[in-house]
Amino acid sequence: MSDSVSRIETRGVVKQFGGLRHPKVLAVDRVSFQIHEGEFVALIGPSGCGKSTILNMIAGLIPFNEGNVFIDGTDIYFGEKLPRNVGYVFQKDTVFPWRTVRKNIGYGLELSGMDKEAINVSVEEIIKRSGLDGFEDAFPLMLSGGMRQRVALMRTLILKPEILLMDEPFGALDTHTKLIMHKLLLEIWEKEKQTVLFVTHDLGEALTLSDRIIVLSARPGKIKEDFKVEFKRPRDAVTLRETNEYSKLFSEIWHCLGEEFNKS
Amino acid sequence: MNSKFEYRFIFLQLLVLIFILSIWEWGWEFNQWLVEDYPRSVQKLFLITILDPFFISQPSEIWIRFQEMSCFITKSGQSTFFHQNEFWQCIDKNRYHLWGMTWATLYNTFWGFLVGVSSGVLVGLILGRSYVLAKIFEPFIVAFNSLPRIALVPLIVLLFGLGDLSKIMTAWIIVFFLVFFNTYEGARSVDRDQINAAKLMGASDLQITMTVVIPSTMSWVFASLTPAVSFSLIGVIVGEFIGADKGLGKIIIESESTMETADMMVSLFVLMIVGVLLAYFVRRIQSHLLRWQSQHSAER
Repeated sequence: MSDSVSRIETRGVVKQFGGLRHPKVLAVDRVSFQIHEGEFVALIGPSGCGKSTILNMIAGLIPFNEGNVFIDGTDIYFGEKLPRNVGYVFQKDTVFPWRTVRKNIGYGLELSGMDKEAINVSVEEIIKRSGLDGFEDAFPLMLSGGMRQRVALMRTLILKPEILLMDEPFGALDTHTKLIMHKLLLEIWEKEKQTVLFVTHDLGEALTLSDRIIVLSARPGKIKEDFKVEFKRPRDAVTLRETNEYSKLFSEIWHCLGEEFNKS
Repeated sequence: MNSKFEYRFIFLQLLVLIFILSIWEWGWEFNQWLVEDYPRSVQKLFLITILDPFFISQPSEIWIRFQEMSCFITKSGQSTFFHQNEFWQCIDKNRYHLWGMTWATLYNTFWGFLVGVSSGVLVGLILGRSYVLAKIFEPFIVAFNSLPRIALVPLIVLLFGLGDLSKIMTAWIIVFFLVFFNTYEGARSVDRDQINAAKLMGASDLQITMTVVIPSTMSWVFASLTPAVSFSLIGVIVGEFIGADKGLGKIIIESESTMETADMMVSLFVLMIVGVLLAYFVRRIQSHLLRWQSQHSAER
């Protein structure tokens, strides 16, 4: 495990909600894991197990009570700016509705003060890759949920993050749209090999995308098991699900998850 | 959609208009004719006094007064359409010509609107984004807001005189609160995740304010613009009622004391047209600025 560099690491992270007037609730209980260079890791567990909380703590969006979070060896605290090479994709639709698709995707580059011409070139290129061409000047509210999430993904990817934190990015999409997004994400990942931490409650999704699946227990979230997913790459999001090894691993992890579903 | 359908409505609307105007013009005469043969005591019972032209004038009378007040015809009934000299002479002689009065009201409405909206947005944004300031000023704002703003107009006239400034101030205090509350709500309800998304893409606090907080709040601000322009007009008219040397409100309040109801009606109609046009323009601007909200509009 220690032969490659760990890019994301949590060490005994504890998160408690409430206090003062409200009863204290232990949400995350001493979670420690390491994610290495180029690894695609899925974090899965029953709802309310604190998987999104863990991701948000790693991103510095919420404070935690104990433990440490490291990205590339540097300590991450609440409210602190993340290193520039980290990208985050939200579950909720956070595309800016008052900006066109083009301007949404170029947003991050605009912030960095890049000149307009260069932004346009990059945006144009990524729009072609993502199948958003023809919608460059549309406003997000005219698009379907899948298209919007595509915009959100591209808005993050255009900044060329080496580390991607994804919080159930396809959670709100229907099965078909989800598969299309899986294909797109796999395609991009094959080329750029980002280090990904992907939170999901969908086991099929986790198996399709990741190299490793960390299963969390029901609240308080603890690491229950850590599965290796060794399907060969590049994967096909559709045909992969027909293979025997997929079914075998699926039922194995499903069993592990099922115990937690029954608890919560 | 269906133009035939639309035309049918326009036709019916015209019919209603003609009906109302006819009652207004001839209703009193007709009413009198109906009760003509009865004794006076019975007559009194059945006369609908509200139709009396002494109180509500008549469309024909109003039309003539409109032309006179706007210098379209001279006192002797001559049209000035082909005699520009006479038109300008009339404007010079007549201190209360309709054009000047309308301009005075419009001018003050515009400035009241502009000052009210900009100050409302500014204060709304500051208090909406600062928890501490909002907490401090909350009771004062609630207290001041529960005061009917119109009740302050006499004080404003005392403070700022009979000129334009008191009208602009009146419009301002009305518009300010409307826009302020909208902006405040908007600034407080900016999506936390949108702010987080911007932050995670490397936005500084200033950049977050400029690219997320302000655009997101603006949709709330724009939604208040149409009522704001109407409120501004109300403020100016009330200001002119209390004390003014010009303006449409001045004509209305003066014709009340002189019983010249035709003059009053002319001002009311001009006000109506002004109100409709102002609301129309603001709505046009608003729908352009908020074009991203219309889900159905085609891609351009």
